[in-house]
Amino acid sequence: MSAIPISVENLRAGYGGDDILNGITFDVRPGEVFTIIGPNGSGKSSLIKVLAGIVPVREGRISLFGRDVTHLKTAQRIAAGLAYVPQEFNVFRNMTVGENLRLATEFIGLRGGVAQSERDRVLGMFPDVAGRLGVQAGTLSGGQRQMLAFACALISAPDVLLLDEPSAGLSPRLAGEIFEAVQTVNAQGTTVILVEQNVAAALPVSDRVLVLVNGAVRRLAPATDLKARDDLAQLFLGEA
Amino acid sequence: MAQLLVNGLVTGLIVALPALALSLTFGILRFPNFAIGAMLTAAAYLAWVLNFYGGVPLVAAALFTVVLFPLVALACDAAVFRPLRDRGPITLLVASMGLSFVLENLCRLMFGNEARNFDMALTRPYRVMGVRINFEQILTAGVSIGAMVLVYVILIHSPLGRAMRAMSDNPTLAAARGIEATRVVSLTWLLAGALTAAAGILIGLDRAIDPQLGWNYIIVCFAAAVVGGLGSPVGAVVGAIGLGVIGELATLVVDPNYRAGVAFAAIALVLLFRPNGLFGRLEIRK
Repeated sequence: MSAIPISVENLRAGYGGDDILNGITFDVRPGEVFTIIGPNGSGKSSLIKVLAGIVPVREGRISLFGRDVTHLKTAQRIAAGLAYVPQEFNVFRNMTVGENLRLATEFIGLRGGVAQSERDRVLGMFPDVAGRLGVQAGTLSGGQRQMLAFACALISAPDVLLLDEPSAGLSPRLAGEIFEAVQTVNAQGTTVILVEQNVAAALPVSDRVLVLVNGAVRRLAPATDLKARDDLAQLFLGEA
Repeated sequence: MAQLLVNGLVTGLIVALPALALSLTFGILRFPNFAIGAMLTAAAYLAWVLNFYGGVPLVAAALFTVVLFPLVALACDAAVFRPLRDRGPITLLVASMGLSFVLENLCRLMFGNEARNFDMALTRPYRVMGVRINFEQILTAGVSIGAMVLVYVILIHSPLGRAMRAMSDNPTLAAARGIEATRVVSLTWLLAGALTAAAGILIGLDRAIDPQLGWNYIIVCFAAAVVGGLGSPVGAVVGAIGLGVIGELATLVVDPNYRAGVAFAAIALVLLFRPNGLFGRLEIRK
């Protein structure tokens, strides 16, 4: 088994007749927070959906710890150690918080006491959610919903967590709480791949950053390097 | 008045089962299954064949049908709906109309147009506090309530039910969490098929079995599901019982021929104030 959590080689994918991602290659290192940034329409969300198995691969290869998962279904990737939190509508709004968590254990085949102990484990990380088990998820605040979505994803104790714009639509304070949660999860050994528009908030928690422009890798560099650059806007637009 | 209330309740309870089936399939597959009426007819004929030609006692024939007919529903899905799953709700609705004609005319081809009856003894109605209640009504109420309780327990307390509700709530997220959509869809058809079978048999007990049996229930079944809120199982049941009771009570003030008109006026009134139905929710579209 390879130590590389995610390895992407020459990836092509898209919707309909067009390719959105054009020959993307990168490796994600163990235990890092790997952030994907880029302008609107650059293919960030498509890339993370391809990694999650929601958008099919047309060409190329995705490996999870050396295992080829290119054509595995989402459920199989979850079983192999991946978890994905979508950008919006990431909880079942008409079900209670408790049911959302229960579903998360059932999806991965956990039952009874084992399932309960896993739910207790993640609820310990998100006390704000733990006190609202009987509340309908759709009535939670944006931040609480995001925390619940995190909790559901973490129930499978994933090796790699994929987060699609977790701070989208949140106030700066709530976004800060979300990035704190990202750091906490990462500190416990989970490799995090993060797609973010909020570059200023994402860079401080990131180890490396991939800049995606028009479905191609524009730059892959340590976050500290990008923080030091004052031409990030040009880099986004593909001019630097 | 009490007699009308009982009659209305029983009528509503008969309609509640196919309305519930319609609501379940709509919630998961996002299309209104127009073939629900023809499926009622086919299920009633299946039970009648077992009972009349096979000589199987009615209760056993009914149980066999409730077990066998879900497989017919699953076969219909595999042959008609699954290949068109990605084509959108209008295509699936039109396909369900086609399936409806095929099923209805298959019944006509095999059994003709004449009315058939189950082989069962006639019984005197009971009198309870001046209200006449016959055995078929008691059976209908018992089976319908039992089936609805069973569906409620499955939806709320079983992993399958939670998976069905999750898919109905947010199919994209369900897929992202790794839920096997094919499995949930199949189980939904099995459940809807069992409900339809039970309803078809109860309707066959209430009136004669003929190729038009289900056709007479399509409008009221759709109306119940819509007034309750399409995709809401509780709404379908409440809508069906409400329509049944309002329709019967309306005969106190209008000619019985207009009872359906009064019930549909009540629907229009409900939809005026609650466009998504009594228990419907706004669809979230990105």
